Amino acid sequence: MVKEKTHVLSDDGYETSGHFGPYGGAYVPETLVPALRELEAAYMESCQDESFQQEFKELLQRYVGRPSLFYEAKRLAEQLGGGRIYLKREDLNHTGAHKINNTLGQVLLAKRMGKKRVIAETGAGQHGVATATACALFALPCVVYMGEEDVRRQNLNVLRMRLLGAEVRTVTHGSCTLKDAINEALRDWVTNVEETFYCFGTAAGPHPYPTIVRDFQTVIGQETREQALKELGKLPDAIIACIGGGSNAIGIFHPFIDDKEVRLIGVEAGGTGNKTGENAATLCLGEPGVLHGAYSYLLQDDDGQIVVTTSVSAGLDYPGVGPEHSNLKETGRADYVSISDQEALDACTLLCQTEGILPALESAHAVAYAAKLAPGLSKDQVIVVNLSGRGDKDVETLAQYLEGGANHE
Amino acid sequence: MSERLKAVFKSEPTGVTRLVSYIMAGDPSVEASLRRLKGLADHGVDVLELGVPFSDPMADGVVIQAAAERALNAQMTVKKTLELVREFRRTHDTPLLLMSYLNPLLRYGWDQLAEDAADAGVDGFILPDLPWREGQGLRMRTKKRVGNKLDFIPMIAQTSREQDVQAVSQVTEGFAYVISRNGITGGEVELPASVNKFIESLGNSLQIPRCVGFGIQKPEQVRALAKVCDGVVVGSALVKAFAKLDQKGLEEQDLIEQEKEVFSWLASLKN
Repeated sequence: MVKEKTHVLSDDGYETSGHFGPYGGAYVPETLVPALRELEAAYMESCQDESFQQEFKELLQRYVGRPSLFYEAKRLAEQLGGGRIYLKREDLNHTGAHKINNTLGQVLLAKRMGKKRVIAETGAGQHGVATATACALFALPCVVYMGEEDVRRQNLNVLRMRLLGAEVRTVTHGSCTLKDAINEALRDWVTNVEETFYCFGTAAGPHPYPTIVRDFQTVIGQETREQALKELGKLPDAIIACIGGGSNAIGIFHPFIDDKEVRLIGVEAGGTGNKTGENAATLCLGEPGVLHGAYSYLLQDDDGQIVVTTSVSAGLDYPGVGPEHSNLKETGRADYVSISDQEALDACTLLCQTEGILPALESAHAVAYAAKLAPGLSKDQVIVVNLSGRGDKDVETLAQYLEGGANHE
Repeated sequence: MSERLKAVFKSEPTGVTRLVSYIMAGDPSVEASLRRLKGLADHGVDVLELGVPFSDPMADGVVIQAAAERALNAQMTVKKTLELVREFRRTHDTPLLLMSYLNPLLRYGWDQLAEDAADAGVDGFILPDLPWREGQGLRMRTKKRVGNKLDFIPMIAQTSREQDVQAVSQVTEGFAYVISRNGITGGEVELPASVNKFIESLGNSLQIPRCVGFGIQKPEQVRALAKVCDGVVVGSALVKAFAKLDQKGLEEQDLIEQEKEVFSWLASLKN
């Protein structure tokens, strides 16, 4: 049965917080309401404060290594035929992914607000590592919640977080992945709200996080825009990014939203199939609902229970998605597609062998869709792939896949 | 306002204060939930809260999380929860509130839910992930649909700011659910010394009775709170007590006997 899509929570005429069209809001326990308003106020102030903006900018240049490279993957494009392909090299950032852009911004905010302690959730461990890094730099104690399943498959990142001085708390409830880590971090926050800053990792969750995280990640899109204009003399024809919660995607999409000629394509985790539980393709296969404080698309069953997701990549293995993406889907401004585990793994080896670049399995989803799209384009058309992270953390998973492949032969 | 709920706060409490109890629908079965709702009502509970299980209960501690998991494993749904209420209403008048996270209710279809809930004999909702000010649209929508049959219970936290309390001060129906301390449901943490002062301070602003919940499990806590509020909520401690019985694997007759001890313990809290 197809249910009518009425957005009963955001009906016109009533004050609600931070929406993108009908999506977003702040649906959290009452205890957290003041903390979110405090965060919103501090963030608004920091936007107006030139010294804050300057400090953030300098950190991005001198610590993260920005601007990140805008690299033409000529051998990859040659092999595929069709359009040109550029990679936005977020994998070259300090700590190996785009996540550091956001955590430096948020930890600077935490300092500014006088918070004594930082907590975070992590899926693949990239956000956890990036938060632990920022906390080490600013001498703040850091606790990272991580699902047991992710601790197992991303053990390298667990070790990195511990080396950086963070405490990693393993979450053994529910599906033991990112969504459960977020639940546990929210429970910590509601208990220790006054002294604690929750450094949220993706452009989802309650208002104001979707806006804050997007703004800190928008540097990706701004640079891409400048680099494309300088190098190509025009804007790209398509921008492709992978989507779990959607922070790297919204970061690169956002400065192009008004450029209607640029196609924006978000790539979700197709996992092992389209049936419930086999994937994490929230926008492709989900329905709107409320999880982790926001009204947005969700993978849920007929009774409104959140379903277990499957993806070879821990960072995309999430049943929700940021509310701004839900709205971009609703308005038709962005397209959302999915790529299977197998296609992502194949794209990973393809990029390794044509360009000598090992992408994170998350980013490999975007590469895989570029490989589908490129052959249909003409020689003067340009695709930009947001290469959101590097794949060192995934070598064990890749090794299993390669060994498995060898067994088949 | 729900007439059943109104009646409870109009009359004098039996014992030192009024008792609000919480159990999870379908934990561990519909039959057990129905029997326990009736037992609680028969043993002096003034208001019943019935939890609707959700897979991701972010405001709940481990006890209620586990209860939700057991209920979901037993295939509990919103629809079956409403049938359970309907069955309970055949014999009992004790006011009953559904406590649930938004998503299962939205999925059911809000308008349909409001009609079905009112029809089944539900008196209102406690929604821990819907802050009062975010919920205005939903409340107006409900009123249009079923009039004043369903109350929404506002929650107030110690962190609540003046303007949040101000918004609740307009409310004239139901009661205010005052959260005893920052945190999630349950746990062994002592209530903060500031709680009595906080509840007293609310007295001047609110037009509705105040019931205090989160972490309440001892008679001395109840006696201390009774001086400043109109009722106390016992949730996790009760869920835990029933869960302990369920784990024993008793014959039904023995289980029913031992449940009576839990009812008596609960009733003793307000002596």
